[in-house]
Amino acid sequence: MLKSVVRAVGAAVRVSNATVTSSVRAAPLRCPVLCAPSSATARPFTRSLWMLSNSGASSGYRPKLFSSKVLTPSISCGCGGLHTEGDKAFGDFLTDEIKEEKKIQKSKTLPKMSGGWELEMNGTEAKLVRFVSGEKVTVTFNVNNSIPPNFGEEVEQGQQKPAEEEPEIVSTPNFVVEVTKQGAKHSLVFDCNFPEDEISHGEGEEESDIFAIREVSFQPEGDGDWKETSYTLNTDSLDWALYDHLMDFLADRGVDNTFADELMELSTAVEHQEYIKFLEDLQSFVKCT
Amino acid sequence: MGVVLRNLQKVVPIRRARLRKDVDTLRHILGIQKFDLGIICVDNQRIQQINSLYRKKNLPTDVLSFPFYEDIRPGKLPCPLHRDELNLGDVFLGVEFVMKQCQEESLDFHGALTAVTAHGICHLLGYRHETDEEWTEMSQREQYILSEFNRLTGRRLEPMMKKCSQDSR
Repeated sequence: MLKSVVRAVGAAVRVSNATVTSSVRAAPLRCPVLCAPSSATARPFTRSLWMLSNSGASSGYRPKLFSSKVLTPSISCGCGGLHTEGDKAFGDFLTDEIKEEKKIQKSKTLPKMSGGWELEMNGTEAKLVRFVSGEKVTVTFNVNNSIPPNFGEEVEQGQQKPAEEEPEIVSTPNFVVEVTKQGAKHSLVFDCNFPEDEISHGEGEEESDIFAIREVSFQPEGDGDWKETSYTLNTDSLDWALYDHLMDFLADRGVDNTFADELMELSTAVEHQEYIKFLEDLQSFVKCT
Repeated sequence: MGVVLRNLQKVVPIRRARLRKDVDTLRHILGIQKFDLGIICVDNQRIQQINSLYRKKNLPTDVLSFPFYEDIRPGKLPCPLHRDELNLGDVFLGVEFVMKQCQEESLDFHGALTAVTAHGICHLLGYRHETDEEWTEMSQREQYILSEFNRLTGRRLEPMMKKCSQDSR
């Protein structure tokens, strides 16, 4: 018999509440050397290395490569900045990394959302806007910290795994849906997320909805700060019939499972694009062009 | 806790509030309000996967039930000793499969989904249709449930067993 959804739901809620928000890239480029023995077998990109090892980042150990040369710059370009052998190796490493990441980039253009959503980008924040019979529906999300930690089994030391078994990196950001009616002072705001067990890489037994509403409140329309004094409905202890009506309300405005799936694709593409951009900026900074 | 409703697919739009209301009416008719149960909507791919895994039938289907109590006599409600045993199990609804059937036979989707759910809940309550006797017993129960449903709601649902869907579990 399958694990009962009813019995599992309590645990699922606890898991989703204990969301680990620290990104695997919180300490970028800190541990690839440390992780090399286990991850070099998986995929030759730093992103995979970070995904597969959290221990390096938190161990407190810092590799002291090139440390003896830190105070003796060996390369000079006249810019007044410090250039070390380490910087050069770093720059070369980034060149390879950017090349590899561009190779696996699915498309340079972002995927289109179906349903007439207009996309606006502001750095890592995306805003999707749609008008439905006089109502304005806005969905915002930020790709920072949107890649959940890898809950899959750890790759055993020295054990090779075929490349096709590697989990794809998927961005699953929390997102906010704002519904504004004409003439109304306040918007109805839904704070939504992708529950973690749905995006696990295990077989079967994914009991959560594709996306879930976490909180609902009325807020002043626009980008202003949210009022903490507005009553906020938390869905953890909500009457399920009310929850279903809220989900149907969103579906009627184009925010349904199809939308959530497309949002995941869009967010993954944006995140990857921003990652490559970051690597390029980092490379320019290190190399001092 | 009541009914845990999950929609794990994106092929068919589901009116959650309506489905929950219909399931609550079925629970009322069967006198099982104090029991929890899970209703999980899945697409063809997922239900085929489950069908293959648990029944060795590599085909999509309309409904698969996973009773919490596997050896109760049909129609006899379980007598749990603890709160966490007030659970009947899970019904997986192959909503894509049901939708396709409805399109082919020009049937109302949500009505058909309710009839299929009634069938699934009957399985949670120990009904089977492996022998002729079992089939008759289950079919009669389904007819009773849906006639009561129709009386209470003014709708006109028909039991799925009329079409002798032997593939459903």
